[in-house]
Amino acid sequence: MVPLLLGISIVLFAVIQAAPGGPEGALLESGRFIDPEVIEAYRVRLGVDQPVHVQYARWLGAAVQGDLGVSFSTTRPVAEMILERLPATLELMGAAFLLAAVLAFGLGTLSAVRQYSWFDHLGTGVSFLGIAMPVFWFGLILQLVFGVWLGWLPVAGTGTVGATSLGDHLLHLVLPALVLSFRYVAGWSRYLRSSLLQALRADYIRTARAMGLPERVVVGVHALRNALIPVVSIMALNLAGLFSGAVITETIFAWPGIGRMFVQAMFARDYPLLMGILLLGSLMVVVFNLVADLAYGFLDPRIRYE
Amino acid sequence: MIRFPSVPSARTAVSLLSVLALAAGAAACGGEGGGDASATGGAGGPDASGRSILRVAYEREIDVLNAFTSQNLVDIQFSMVEGLVTTDDRNTYIPVLAEEIPTEENGLVVRNEDGTVTMTWPLQEDVRWHDGEPFTSADVCFTWRFVSSPGSQVYNRHEYLGIQGCETPDDHTVVFTWDGVYAYYQGLFEAMLPEHILGEMSAEEIVNFTPYNRGEALVGTGPFRFAEWRAGEYIRVVRNEDYWRGPDVPAIDEIVWSFVPDDNTRFNGMKAGRYHWARILPTQVAEARGLEGYEVFLVSSNSFMHLDLSLNTENARALFSETGVREALFHAVDRQAIADQLLEGTVVLANTPINHTSPFHNPEAPPVSYDPELARRMLDQAGWQPGPDGIRVKDGRRLSFEMLNRAGTADRVAVAQVIQAQLKEVGVEATFETLESAAWTQRWRSGQWEALVSAWFLPADPSVTGLYACDGSNNMTGMCDPELDSIMERSDRYLDFDRRKAALDTVQVMLAQAHRSLPLYFNVVPELLSEGIEGHRGSGTNFGSFWNLWEWRLR
Repeated sequence: MVPLLLGISIVLFAVIQAAPGGPEGALLESGRFIDPEVIEAYRVRLGVDQPVHVQYARWLGAAVQGDLGVSFSTTRPVAEMILERLPATLELMGAAFLLAAVLAFGLGTLSAVRQYSWFDHLGTGVSFLGIAMPVFWFGLILQLVFGVWLGWLPVAGTGTVGATSLGDHLLHLVLPALVLSFRYVAGWSRYLRSSLLQALRADYIRTARAMGLPERVVVGVHALRNALIPVVSIMALNLAGLFSGAVITETIFAWPGIGRMFVQAMFARDYPLLMGILLLGSLMVVVFNLVADLAYGFLDPRIRYE
Repeated sequence: MIRFPSVPSARTAVSLLSVLALAAGAAACGGEGGGDASATGGAGGPDASGRSILRVAYEREIDVLNAFTSQNLVDIQFSMVEGLVTTDDRNTYIPVLAEEIPTEENGLVVRNEDGTVTMTWPLQEDVRWHDGEPFTSADVCFTWRFVSSPGSQVYNRHEYLGIQGCETPDDHTVVFTWDGVYAYYQGLFEAMLPEHILGEMSAEEIVNFTPYNRGEALVGTGPFRFAEWRAGEYIRVVRNEDYWRGPDVPAIDEIVWSFVPDDNTRFNGMKAGRYHWARILPTQVAEARGLEGYEVFLVSSNSFMHLDLSLNTENARALFSETGVREALFHAVDRQAIADQLLEGTVVLANTPINHTSPFHNPEAPPVSYDPELARRMLDQAGWQPGPDGIRVKDGRRLSFEMLNRAGTADRVAVAQVIQAQLKEVGVEATFETLESAAWTQRWRSGQWEALVSAWFLPADPSVTGLYACDGSNNMTGMCDPELDSIMERSDRYLDFDRRKAALDTVQVMLAQAHRSLPLYFNVVPELLSEGIEGHRGSGTNFGSFWNLWEWRLR
């Protein structure tokens, strides 16, 4: 894993540096009169006047000692900023994952056992919608319906300042979690439906029915477990997608997670912060791949790793 | 067919909507939905405890709270930190921590025989920092030492370098000695730093001093004091009970600046009654005007949109060197249509860079009329004849140039597209190159472009020397007129209003006649306010609309 992360860090550093402009851009974009000497002094202070390989060597030297550097824009340690924002992102990801899993399992199973029913057609239609619909548009529509017209849910933030309670916080979580999960509800429910339909045609299901087992046990225990194998692996791989999807969701709903911080860092060309966040994202992809591999073995006893 | 009888159909829909139902139930039990917010008319007045809380939907999380080193607008900082001066809603400097602004008329600015200038600032008495320490003239000198130090990296540090010395004859008087006359002196010292907290540090240490940047160690003299910064969520400031203007101000107990970066979310949040104040987009103004309990306030920003033509590339020189050609191009641009149709009539046309609300604005600066027929005639006379594809040609060169657009600035790109279409009507081709923001800035500053639509955000001081002087640090068009230079430089050294105004009037006329840059319109910043807010007097300068927070109150 270490060589992989090292390789990733080189690619990330190169890509970030290849983007035109620099951290002084934020200074210039304000439209104010800026003293050119100030701009140069700013670049020197941040160390971006040095050649790229020197900058990378400095960054790597500190990173291996656990120091991810100091944010250009806030002058705070990057690790501290990431740790501060990570819980919000993990909470949103976790809520969206759970919500997507519960809804997808229900929808997928019902669609499969009632193949070609009105419910199945509706599920297919909603799934296509979920996959095709832009996240930001869906988020804004939900804000309008539940936040503005009905007044049931808050449109942004994690809580009412000065009146925060668990219920209030959960209310704030509903819309972003729903928006982030919707695409995955659509995808996973379709995978499960197709996988379950295949399982339900298998010989062992016919045998189970012939033995007189209740239909609920046949579907819920025997068919579903086998049908879950490909779906769970996709779910584990999609965890990384949830992390990247949080970038848009967090921005729309003013959720104080890493995704939103990434957008700000990108516009500010805050190299150390970008490197820290991207490295964390890469680490998550590697870990989630590992989780997917382990999930195979858990669900299918025939798969064992040497 | 497989049956699954134990699950009734109705439960399908229930499972789909379970989360929303839970939310609806929770909403009915209280929380934000039923708490301090009302459905219309803003986020309400005093809360259940009787506290008056102003809720602001702010468009971004700021970087640092040091007003000098922040790269963002400093609305939030100025609720806590004050300077010697601020600007009011008439684009005019007014004293804050200074008792009055020194001028030659009031005898506080004296020209010395050796060419230096002595400037005396009398300070307000009985002003205390938020930690109870007295604010004195020593703090002013300390602030000057910090800003003028190379390590401060304050964006306008060069403007402070004319100050040779700072003296403190008593706690409430500061005397600066300048090496010459600088008319922009009134706009300096927009904030003060506390010497008793930062005095032992170097400028670099102050820039990187996290406790001050994050608020824990921030003390100001302003109407509000720092309370809390929740990363990514909000900054909360509370009433300064010991504010120097008196015990009755400020009338607001607390301000919550929530960071809501998405334009549509901010607007939805206002419509849902969650906030009292937000900046919105010009395209949202028409809808916002129909919202019950809110009013739209169009702040005339000290920023003007303009079309620039450069002479820095070979093609640009071949095309734009003749004044008549540049003027013809400008006559082809229908600015009124842009203002009326694209910006829904929210903006004021500009004929000069100096804002129409400024006392230095020259209303006599000649406007460029929209006259495509005249444009065609002028181009014909200049030898540019229509080619086979309708684009004019002269000596084998097409009248075609590239406009540099910045991705993500939808307003500017839309203006550029309209100009592109209007120029085509007179046989001129403008192609687009669109660059990401930082890349655009880099190219723009390099001068290697031919035309662009951009905006400058000017301070209340009317000097435009940096923009148009031959060696102006922000002159990216390559414009150079020695006669104009000499008048601009003179205007920067007139301290009395009348002489400076006369010089700047001439400058504005000469700029209009040079046809190097076509002012399009003065930007407006639409603000949506709850009708419950009283005392708001929006300002379009870098001091922003919160310059008079001590006067605000919530009904």
